[in-house]
Amino acid sequence: MKWVIALFALVALVVGATALAHDDGTAWSPIVYPEQRLPLTFSHRVHLAKGATCAQCHPAATTSRSAVDNLIPTELECRACHPIDRADPEKVVAGAPTAKCVACHPGWTSTSAVARVYLTPTPLKFDHAAHAKTPCAQCHGDMTKVDLATTRQLPTMASCLTCHTNGTEQRHCTDCHVAKPGGTIQTEFPHGTLIPRNSGMGDSHAIGFAKNHTQEARQVGATCTACHDRSECVACHQGVTKPMEFHAGNYLLTHAVEAKRGTPDCSACHRAQSFCVACHERSGLAPRVDTEFSSTMPNRAFHPANFATRHAPEARRNITSCASCHREDDCLRCHSNTMNSMRATPHPPNWRGSTRCKALDRGNRRACLRCHVTQDEVGCDWSAR
Amino acid sequence: MRRACVAAIALCAVSATPAEAYEFWVRTQSVGQVYQLRQYKLVGPDLFKGRRRYTQTLALRIDDIGDLSRSRRESRLPDRGLRISWQSYLRVDHDFGTFTSGRIRLSPVLRRDAIDVIPELAESVAGLDLAYGHVTLEGLADDRLTVKLGRILEDDGWQSLGVDGGSVRYELPRVPLAISADGGLRVRADSPMGMAEMELDGTSGAGCTEYVEAATPGAGTWQLVDRGRTITNSRLSSDYEYCPQRTMRQPTIGVELATASTKRFGAAIGYRRTWSETFGLIGESNRLDEPDRGLYPDEFGQAPDSGVNEERIYARVHGRLRSGELAIEPYANARVSLLHAALDRVDAGVRLVRGDHALEPSVAYFLPTFDGDSIFNVFSIEPTKDARLSYWREGAVRWRADAWLRRYAHGTGLSSYAGGAQAGLEHPFGDRWRGAIDALWDDGYGGRRVGGTGEVAWRAHDDIWLRGRVIVLGVKPDASAERPAYVTTSTVLSSSFALAESVALHVVAEADHDDVHDLQLRGLAVLDFAFMPEIH
Repeated sequence: MKWVIALFALVALVVGATALAHDDGTAWSPIVYPEQRLPLTFSHRVHLAKGATCAQCHPAATTSRSAVDNLIPTELECRACHPIDRADPEKVVAGAPTAKCVACHPGWTSTSAVARVYLTPTPLKFDHAAHAKTPCAQCHGDMTKVDLATTRQLPTMASCLTCHTNGTEQRHCTDCHVAKPGGTIQTEFPHGTLIPRNSGMGDSHAIGFAKNHTQEARQVGATCTACHDRSECVACHQGVTKPMEFHAGNYLLTHAVEAKRGTPDCSACHRAQSFCVACHERSGLAPRVDTEFSSTMPNRAFHPANFATRHAPEARRNITSCASCHREDDCLRCHSNTMNSMRATPHPPNWRGSTRCKALDRGNRRACLRCHVTQDEVGCDWSAR
Repeated sequence: MRRACVAAIALCAVSATPAEAYEFWVRTQSVGQVYQLRQYKLVGPDLFKGRRRYTQTLALRIDDIGDLSRSRRESRLPDRGLRISWQSYLRVDHDFGTFTSGRIRLSPVLRRDAIDVIPELAESVAGLDLAYGHVTLEGLADDRLTVKLGRILEDDGWQSLGVDGGSVRYELPRVPLAISADGGLRVRADSPMGMAEMELDGTSGAGCTEYVEAATPGAGTWQLVDRGRTITNSRLSSDYEYCPQRTMRQPTIGVELATASTKRFGAAIGYRRTWSETFGLIGESNRLDEPDRGLYPDEFGQAPDSGVNEERIYARVHGRLRSGELAIEPYANARVSLLHAALDRVDAGVRLVRGDHALEPSVAYFLPTFDGDSIFNVFSIEPTKDARLSYWREGAVRWRADAWLRRYAHGTGLSSYAGGAQAGLEHPFGDRWRGAIDALWDDGYGGRRVGGTGEVAWRAHDDIWLRGRVIVLGVKPDASAERPAYVTTSTVLSSSFALAESVALHVVAEADHDDVHDLQLRGLAVLDFAFMPEIH
């Protein structure tokens, strides 16, 4: 009951805090927005203060339909106001904005080439034309405070999701991200690998992620398969090779410690009654087959002395460990009410009539029948008899 | 097994038609493994059983079957409307080493094939597994409905199960909620191309018995199932074991209500129920001395017509909050087994992230539960509780540290504990070198482990990666095990060669040494094709 209360309290905390919190999403991926070279002197702040509009300098932004389009103004747009004359790099026109080459191209000399602007196209799909009715500042921020614009003035995924609320649904990931044949997001690029980090989607791949991704995978709406084919999960969780990152070193020898503790959770990948039992029996550790261990000979015992009479606490808290070597028949040899058994009850006090007894009996009596055979033994509601 | 192979080949042959326009992605891996497993001996050296495994996998995705999205794609519009795709993962696994194909001595005069005595070895002697294979229809009903048909994978956060059937997911209009439902037959080891790993745990495939009644009701005995058949020598499955209840089909249904299109939080509540009919008579009704009433005792109708194998409800919730530069990500997950009337899994925690630093305290609760047919369910009573604290740092040098404490309840009230800590860092050296070290200490219930790992990775060439790792671990089993302490070392050398674009060969060699045993070697090679064919 305490757990249930704690759980509901945590749910209330999450919902309450969510209502009060805000999200300023401050993540620019260097893979989505690769490094730029902008050897320019320019101030959006100054130009906007003088009344310039966005479309004046970026006319193609209203019609562009691809994120690959280069929307940086060319000299042609600058000439609308600046009386640039390539034949006269030092030209000054009274009352007109500067026309000197070095005013915008710092370090330029008549003997050197103009340093080129270098942009790696972003691996995104974006249609400016479709967003023509959206104010520029909504995605690019307040440009009246910015001099030279960089990738910091490009929208983050968090800002996109402000309007595109269904963007958190995995099937919409490739509305913006470039997809590979097959439909998953393309993550490998010449300038690096796209790995989630501070995306605001709760999917950050931090150090040790290969071993510690339980919560990321378990969360509602997890988008793992937007990038990863499901076979990657199966190849490891139901795989046929030892994952070296997870089961490092001489794990066959040392795994008993972790298996007994139950951490990590072996059942996330292995089925005790097939995977574990098969290997333990073939290795001569389990009791059914070719083993040199013996429960009746103290000098050849696998378990500590008198384990047969004091194994109950272990079974009650760690039956999975037992089930990695023993099959049900081993338990039934003693824990059964049938004729040839020792009739040792495995049930705790007050089992009869307990909620759990009734639930198991109601749900699947077949398990009860493995031990209890006669009419007066079957069922849990003994008070009714 | 053989029938499944023939059926798969026949299906492929019958359904083969000229390819239409679609995009597809294929990944195949050819895996060869050579290693040894011990057969433990109390006198003299251990024997070694060889494993010589060859595995072939095929992951296939066919996207936009019928090219239904073409016009929108060419118009550079987001995908909407019907879109049909296929995903599957097929695996062939064969072990031709003595581990599976050897013989076992049951007595001084009786020897049998290992697979006859341990039926589970059949899973690796020759397995043809279809982990999943389904067609997906997305974008139906105004882009709100998704339908999957075939062998699908479902997940409640703690277990993945295969379902031969279908699922639907519908996003409700006006409210950020989606309702999902699935139904079909749960994939079992006995299903066509089924994987044993997906079957509920608790029941095994050996020593399966039936109740043979005596003259006096209730005085009968459980005896190995006698099928009254001629034993044939099969190399792919056990000749003797027969577990009728494990061959029964398991219908399963699941429903889930979850948030959809939410950004700062997510929540889900779901329900799953799996059941199976009770196997009736085995063979002729008069084959036994007493009246044959079926697999279970049933003199007065106590054997149910069907039984529940699992029935669970689960809930998951998480938040993604931000307060200034601090990201706060709480989560809580719980699962209740209605079959056991018990809470069987809970975990909760909060992840605090500020810049490159993250801190995560969490707690967990765990009670083992099994297939409803398993008697292990009545033994498993005491839960285990776990608390841990993790810290990690991103950046050029990456750090991680974890500490944990785990409590194992004890019937007498005296609990046992295990606790420990692990810390490591990863450091790049230029563009081509990377080093990592970590150290581990844990102690308590189960034993003590103290050790560390050192690793160096080198990108020798644009197409060649080399890695070396040394692990030293001292182990002291806990007192109850009465085993000697030992130190083990392990050296792993691995490399990857990019043979061509999207084609790579990975080679791994591992040498283990410890105080108890001699040197042991393991080899692994993977030829990995993940090519992107021309788009038609």
